[in-house]
Amino acid sequence: MKMEDMPLSGPDNTKLEALVNDIYSELVEDACLGLCFEVHRAVKQGYFFLDETDQESMKEFEIVDQPGVDIFGQVYNQWKNKECECPNCKRLIAASRFAPHLEKCLGMGRNSSRIANRRLASNNNMSKSESDQEDNDDLNDNDWSYGAEKRAKKRKSDKSQTSPRRSKTLKHKNGELGSGISADPYKYNYNAGINYEMLGPDEVQSFLTTQCGVISEHTKKMCTRSQRCPQHTDEQRMAVRVFLLGPSAPVLPEADSVAVPESFDIPDGQALMSRLQWEDSPEISPSDSASSKASTNHSDSRRPKKKKPRPSLGLNSGGGIGSLSGGGGGGSSQSNISLSTKKKKPKLTAPSISSIYDDLN
Amino acid sequence: MSKDYQMKAAINQKLIEMGERERLKELLRAKLVESGWKDQLKAHCKDVIREKGLEHVTVEDLVTEVTPKGRGTARRQQVVGTGQKSSCPCSKTEKINLVVQ
Repeated sequence: MKMEDMPLSGPDNTKLEALVNDIYSELVEDACLGLCFEVHRAVKQGYFFLDETDQESMKEFEIVDQPGVDIFGQVYNQWKNKECECPNCKRLIAASRFAPHLEKCLGMGRNSSRIANRRLASNNNMSKSESDQEDNDDLNDNDWSYGAEKRAKKRKSDKSQTSPRRSKTLKHKNGELGSGISADPYKYNYNAGINYEMLGPDEVQSFLTTQCGVISEHTKKMCTRSQRCPQHTDEQRMAVRVFLLGPSAPVLPEADSVAVPESFDIPDGQALMSRLQWEDSPEISPSDSASSKASTNHSDSRRPKKKKPRPSLGLNSGGGIGSLSGGGGGGSSQSNISLSTKKKKPKLTAPSISSIYDDLN
Repeated sequence: MSKDYQMKAAINQKLIEMGERERLKELLRAKLVESGWKDQLKAHCKDVIREKGLEHVTVEDLVTEVTPKGRGTARRQQVVGTGQKSSCPCSKTEKINLVVQ
């Protein structure tokens, strides 16, 4: 609503205006009075002239209002164009980049070590072939250390998410871990292995049924990968199981303790057959698919650990295993279940076990 | 004349009752500070104080010296600030008119 739109008549209008002006003047006077009171109080309290100390310092810190200069009179980007020589690498670096460059150059910053390690790791991985995990299995096994595992794992994570190996191991882990340890939280930590000293015998048993469990020389930690972990052979897995659970009590998921001599009294025929089948499996594997090879490995690894309450059934189991390995497996999980149901498995004789154990050491 | 007086009194009372007066006062204060009127006036106060001597300044001195100047400059400030024809910001006039009617 504007002044022109007021519905009042002329004289009233001016009167009204006058009134309004009066009111306004009163308000202004109030404001002035307020200011006076404020100033007077400041004067009497002594803080009125506090910001004016003396003429000299006033001049020194006067506000500067020139172009190209801030209010203190300093030039903003004075040092931007200057270059400094790095004492380490003798390069000329721009001033604003000098500090980060020094950090990297001298290797003293927070990130510099991390980046250097990552660069070294990627260089090492570039020099090796991609499939060395499978090909140089032996090499890797002997030198398996926490650092290599970390690098390998890092490389794995760097690789594309769709690599088949990754999906397989995950699938296995998911399938087996559900039946395996549920109380043990450590296994989900990607970098931490499990120290076998930390687990009780029951936990060790259950752990070894689902996971590789091969103990690293360097860190004394058990491998938390699946039973088909490519870094370790089945021999190693078996040796570890023997080592951890004693030669008399190899791991079975539903195993009970069985006396030692009984397991060693396997007829030679069965042992031979088991050994034969075991040795056969590498021959079978190239013709089969990768999954079947895995399943045969599974069966092989399972077999020596299983106890043998009834020797007669052991024969059947041997035959059954042979058929299984020969036919390949649909899914290795299936073979797991079928294998686990067969309680009778011939065991390798003691001398062979100890020899493998020596190899591991 | 008394009628105007009465009217003025009535308006004032109405304003106070509604709380509009306080609001207008705060509004005015904010605008004066914004425009720099307060700092100008304060500088003038400083001069007066320096003139009179720091110890012997009284409120009355300040008021008598400062208020006329303040009033005058306020009017000019308002005109410049709002760009209105009248010396009063239009919004205030509207409000007062509303009250009167």
